[in-house]
Amino acid sequence: MTTSDALISARSLTKRFDPFVAVDGIDFEVRRGEAFGFLGPNGAGKTSTMRMIACISPPSGGELRVIGMDPVTQASEVKARIGVVPQMDNLDIELTVRENLEMYARYFDVPREVAGPRIDDLLDFVQLTERSSSKVEPLSGGMKRRLTIARSLINDPDLILLDEPTTGLDPQARHLVWDRLYRLKQRGVTLVITTHYMDEAEQLCDRLVVMDKAKIVTEGSPRDLINRYSTREVLEVRIDDEVREKLIAAMQGSVDKVESLPDRVLLYTENGDATLASIHEQGFETVSALVRRATLEDVFLTITGRSLVE
Amino acid sequence: MNAYKVVARNRIVYWRVWRTSFFLTVLAPVMFLSAMGLGLGSLVEGDRAFGGLDYRTFFATGMLAATCMQTGVFEATYPIMAKIVWQRNYEAMLASPLSVRDIFLGEMLWVGVTLAQLAIPFFAVMAAFGIVDSPMALMAIPAVLLVGMSCATVVAAMTASLQTDEAFTWLFRLVVTPLFLLSGTFFPIEELPEWGRLVAQLTPLFHGVELVRQFMVGSPSLTTIWHIGYLVALFGIGTVLGIRAFEKRLRP
Repeated sequence: MTTSDALISARSLTKRFDPFVAVDGIDFEVRRGEAFGFLGPNGAGKTSTMRMIACISPPSGGELRVIGMDPVTQASEVKARIGVVPQMDNLDIELTVRENLEMYARYFDVPREVAGPRIDDLLDFVQLTERSSSKVEPLSGGMKRRLTIARSLINDPDLILLDEPTTGLDPQARHLVWDRLYRLKQRGVTLVITTHYMDEAEQLCDRLVVMDKAKIVTEGSPRDLINRYSTREVLEVRIDDEVREKLIAAMQGSVDKVESLPDRVLLYTENGDATLASIHEQGFETVSALVRRATLEDVFLTITGRSLVE
Repeated sequence: MNAYKVVARNRIVYWRVWRTSFFLTVLAPVMFLSAMGLGLGSLVEGDRAFGGLDYRTFFATGMLAATCMQTGVFEATYPIMAKIVWQRNYEAMLASPLSVRDIFLGEMLWVGVTLAQLAIPFFAVMAAFGIVDSPMALMAIPAVLLVGMSCATVVAAMTASLQTDEAFTWLFRLVVTPLFLLSGTFFPIEELPEWGRLVAQLTPLFHGVELVRQFMVGSPSLTTIWHIGYLVALFGIGTVLGIRAFEKRLRP
């Protein structure tokens, strides 16, 4: 990758809140037009990184360029070309849906004659045309999120930063948000997304980095990472406790990895059905068995561990 | 300079409720001037004690300056706390090209607009009561805006460094109310003990009240410059502290 393609580039980027280090010397590049993800458990440093890119939080060290500019000295110029969807909605609850967009258009110096039709389009895009004169408060969580997304598009940005865009939404609302984000991606808008939902990362991201404890642990496309850190398939077996240890011992050598969870045993294998057949051939009785494709979640848990990180 | 956009936002919100608040801002001075000025004023004798003013004028000018200080302080407490913590409007504004400076100056400008909406009707009521008798008196309006805005800058700086709103109760009880009563508002500070007089002379409201009275009776003097200087300096210091506190809070 050449640096001229990079919409964002970071070298040894660091953020300290003394004595705590939130982001510890990370390097990454985001190319124009791609959907780039920051994956990681809570407290891994994703939001701090996003806030530095958004020119909200000045870096404590390292280098950061956003759209070819310095987010500290050229904050207003950078901010004029990006859209931000923060983790918690910060819509103006004293204004209506439409006024929220109108006000934001003024903050961004969008000329009135451009703003009017653009707001109509955006309300239509996020399916809020009918609610345009409603106050913000009575809107559902999904609607507020969509309005926040519409607001982030008011300046027709080159780059959109989305910090956990679907956290707390119900499945329908999530799918609607994903659909809109997917369409933005189709239009060539660069998306940077943080999430701890693996399905979200798998659906939306072309490339991602996994962060853990303020550092980047790995990087690649979702497929890459699955190939690198997991097997093609995972067999999940529920089995009586008495034979559980025997099963684990028996399968240890014939699959890539065996993981014992409180309620089930996971067997990482290239062919789940064949593995299950061999379990049955060896005379084990399973309560239930499920063969599934390996997901980013397997990768994520392999890398960051299963224990609760707080 | 994008500060005016913050003013524009507040104006849209205010426009919805202006009828009630306008009514209240006119009603309050009418009530106070009638009750205190006419009622109490008729009992108070001896113009000499009030620096050559009759008590009605003395009271009205003190009340105008004190109300503006109180409003300026109030506008810098809960409404700003709400936009930092509860509604996070500033976070949203900072994602746009607006800077912390734009936000702070915009809010202070808005405090000025709020004060003008209060001071102008108040002044009109005073005129209706026959208290205003020189064109110089109009200068009392910018003077009270300066009082309210300079207090607002300092209090906004404090607000930005608070985690909760508990301190506001103490601010009003221990700072605003004593200032309101003891800065030469309702009686001349000469009536205070020696130390009280010294403390009063350090407060912004004392300078504001003096300034307003000098303009009202059309007799500015060298001390006018001193009063203006004090308030302008306070506004300057408060603005520097305020922008710094906002920066620290909003862009950690």
